[in-house]
Amino acid sequence: MELAAIVGERGVRSDALARSAYESDGFMLQREAPSIVVLPRSTEEAAAAVKVLRREGLVVVPRGAGTGLTGGARPIAGGAVLGTARMKRILEINPDDRFARVEAGVVNVHLTAATCSHGLFYAPDPSSQTACTIGGNVGNNSGGPHCFKYGSTNRHVLGLTLVDSDGEITRVGGIEPDPDGIDLLGPLVGSEGMMGLVTEVTVKLEPSPERVETLLVMFESLDACCDAVSDMIAARLEPSAIEILDRLTIEAVEASVLRAGYPEHAEAVMLVEVEGGPHEVDAIATDIIELARARGAFEARRTADDEERKKLWAGRKGAFGAMGRIAPDLYVADVVVPRTRLREIVGVASRACAARGLKLSNVFHAGDGNLHPNISYDRRDADEVARVLAAGKEIMEACVAFGGSLTGEHGVGLEKQGEMCLVFGDDDLAAMSDLRAAFDPHGFWNPGKLFPVRGCREIEARPLGSEAR
Amino acid sequence: MTEAAPHARPFPTDAASLVDHARSLDCIHCGLCLTTCPTYQLTGSETSSPRGRIHLMRAVAEEREEPTVEFAEEMDFCLVCRHCESVCPAGVEFGAMMEFTRGKLEETGTRGPLARLVRWIGFRRILPSRAGLKLAVGGLALAQRLGLTRLAPLVAGLRGEVTAALPPVPPRRERRPLPAVTPARGASRGRALVLEGCVMPELFGRVNHAEARLLAAAGFETMSVPKHVCCGALHAHNGELEQARELARSTIERFDAVDDSCPVVLDSAGCGAHMREYGRLLANDPAWAARAEAFGRRVVDMSEVLAAPESLERLASRLRETTSLRGPITWDAPCHLCHGQQVRSQPLALLDALPGVERVALEGAESCCGSAGIYSVLRPSDSLEVLEPKLEALRRSGARTLVTANPGCHQQWQVGVRRAGLDVEVVHLAEALDRALEG
Ligand SMILES: Cc1cc2nc3c(=O)[nH]c(=O)nc-3n(C[C@H](O)[C@H](O)[C@H](O)COP(=O)(O)OP(=O)(O)OC[C@H]3O[C@@H](n4cnc5c(N)ncnc54)[C@H](O)[C@@H]3O)c2cc1C
Ligand code: SF4
Ligand code: SF4
Repeated sequence: MELAAIVGERGVRSDALARSAYESDGFMLQREAPSIVVLPRSTEEAAAAVKVLRREGLVVVPRGAGTGLTGGARPIAGGAVLGTARMKRILEINPDDRFARVEAGVVNVHLTAATCSHGLFYAPDPSSQTACTIGGNVGNNSGGPHCFKYGSTNRHVLGLTLVDSDGEITRVGGIEPDPDGIDLLGPLVGSEGMMGLVTEVTVKLEPSPERVETLLVMFESLDACCDAVSDMIAARLEPSAIEILDRLTIEAVEASVLRAGYPEHAEAVMLVEVEGGPHEVDAIATDIIELARARGAFEARRTADDEERKKLWAGRKGAFGAMGRIAPDLYVADVVVPRTRLREIVGVASRACAARGLKLSNVFHAGDGNLHPNISYDRRDADEVARVLAAGKEIMEACVAFGGSLTGEHGVGLEKQGEMCLVFGDDDLAAMSDLRAAFDPHGFWNPGKLFPVRGCREIEARPLGSEAR
Repeated sequence: MTEAAPHARPFPTDAASLVDHARSLDCIHCGLCLTTCPTYQLTGSETSSPRGRIHLMRAVAEEREEPTVEFAEEMDFCLVCRHCESVCPAGVEFGAMMEFTRGKLEETGTRGPLARLVRWIGFRRILPSRAGLKLAVGGLALAQRLGLTRLAPLVAGLRGEVTAALPPVPPRRERRPLPAVTPARGASRGRALVLEGCVMPELFGRVNHAEARLLAAAGFETMSVPKHVCCGALHAHNGELEQARELARSTIERFDAVDDSCPVVLDSAGCGAHMREYGRLLANDPAWAARAEAFGRRVVDMSEVLAAPESLERLASRLRETTSLRGPITWDAPCHLCHGQQVRSQPLALLDALPGVERVALEGAESCCGSAGIYSVLRPSDSLEVLEPKLEALRRSGARTLVTANPGCHQQWQVGVRRAGLDVEVVHLAEALDRALEG
């Protein structure tokens, strides 16, 4: 076969069984297998494969590790999945100019591991960082706990290599923070695989802080915990990460291999990271704890020990998976509200789920006002699936009404296509669509995502959950 | 796991189910296990990842996919290293699920007739029989003496190359069984039963002897179990579940006949991981379930016993600097020790008690070496590919002695080191400590 000649025998999978493993990413509400899976080993192989796929009339869905939570990395109706899992070389680390150039399939955490001996690290740290790829991070403009201080992926990408729908290789940006001409990186980062396949990424590296301390602060009420976050920000105490886990999440994590030593009797815990010079860290940590106590925190622990810190974070990062102990599937919503309204949106989510008999747990990147209301369900129960979608929609609507947004970091994909109309009008969407067409005039890359399937006016009349299977 | 679950979850009992569907539902599809998986690392294919395999099993159980030859191939490609279990926040019992599926594939005969014949000879005639083992190992020794193994690559390709790179079968004096009792040195702290195992006495008898001496030095009266041959681990990992159950029952009987309450101490990680789970294996057998569960709880790895504070204290006082171990040394954790039994810190604590020996870290020490029981025999090419990055890491580490604690891994490393032309000695943890033990 022509493709096998390009990417090698192991790089093409077309039997039904193999393809079925690609029928979803981390978003399980809907599934659809590709008609072929192609796994190139280099930019050149990817470009050559694209030419063949295009000629054969297939559309293409880029895929990293398939940890996305919005259905972005699987097709809507056949076509090829073009995966970067074999493109995992770190091409260059430049400690003096503080950048690294990597292939798109490099796993996020491997980059940081490779740079730490230079006293540097890659800042965006999605909770899926032990699996997700830098290419996927670019696709979704992913964030993570430490993006509160450092910013999301778009603040760290300096340059990209892109394979377009003609199989041409284009380089965008470079190694300098502000390249000449119109900034094309802006639209590409977060384009959810709809403008081409990213094959190489040049990213900025950050110097490792002199001292890092992690604080574990325990509360008897989730509301109090939310309020403490607002207080911290108002007092200009700027840690590098502020995360909240609620009781159900704590229980699930503590029952798992990632047990982190979170107190199971707390209604909520706040995980805070403070970095800087030793005095600075000490002063900020002391102030944060004082402030939290004023809001009713009943205990606070500080640690600078690397092993212990790792454990605390591993628990947080495994929270999604740990919910597998509660039910077979989990819907992870990803909404943003102004931080002062965190406790209100938690209330909305609780009521939306309680009214529908659904089990809700909450984790948030609280510093950014980014809330993940997680709803447990079983995909085999069609009625429950419909209720989950309805609850999700109610939560998103409330967020928009509070002046927030639909997605903090997971992207739109299939999950929030319809809800785009809560924020944008048909004109806005048409403008975005034009921008996309400038990169992909043929609708070759990841078609049918992000934009609502029909015009917004029509969508308003569509019954909820009608697409779920 | 160090603390056994209160009650093992039984396998499904209905004849129709090819897959342990209930266990497959534990997976929430988060993907955090992908990068740990040696076959995903090798191929980049999600079908060959833990999440992919669980998906396939579930899809077959729900009749969305057929249990085709491709399905069996994907299940066989897995090394059952259980690295995926160590990172899975949802607590998916991957090893158990895979054992069950392989068992059913075996029953339904998805494999070809020749493969089945070879397996029958191996699992029914060689492993569970001392005479069978002696015959097989004797054959290998003879072939090595006559120089026939050097010809193996010509007739058997890669499998032959591996055979040619096997270390020589040890002399007979190293293959003698353990004495019935090895008395404790100093005041006795109680008894310990040791498992000599099936291939261990034939190829690594010196390790069993070292283990007994170490346990004695730590204050244990060490008992061997006469006539016992095989615990059934290889059978279970490869889907021979009925035979594995029989071997489990006879193992329990023979061990209990010597002592039915003292710890059962192992120097083979693969056997330990399996024997700890006898409770699950026999959970559907009312006459045996409780007894098997109780037996499983007595199973410990040698390093756990030796690294306990009182043992370590006694042992340390008897360890001397030795020229028979070349530094720096490094530790490669057998999968079924770190992932299968969650034993991680104890071997390191023991190695660090060796006077005057520098220990260096091995990158990816918890990743599979590709041995995986009989995988290296069934799939030599995949097996060596899995070992490749580990050999690179060994080269980078600068170690001159590599320490492991499982016969399969031991042999795999010996073959790999030899083929790569590295000047590194491969030893078992027990040997490393024993060499430093004063007379
Ligand atoms: C347990 C868990 C925790 C998570 N935590 C976070 C979190 O804290 N923050 C966060 O932001 N996200 C989080 N996510 C979501 C997800 O991990 C991120 O979106 C991640 O960046 C996806 O990377 P991936 O390699 O898996 O990409 P995929 O899921 O494979 O793809 C994601 C999108 O990017 C596109 N894409 C992938 N590779 C390329 C490429 N090379 N070129 C062009 N387009 C491409 C795909 O088409 C798709 O639209 C989490 C997910 C899980 C399962
Ligand atoms: S880590 Fe566990 S829950 Fe997550 S995909 Fe892997 S097996 Fe499934
Ligand atoms: S047991 Fe090992 S080889 Fe098998 S799926 Fe898990 S990690 Fe991969």
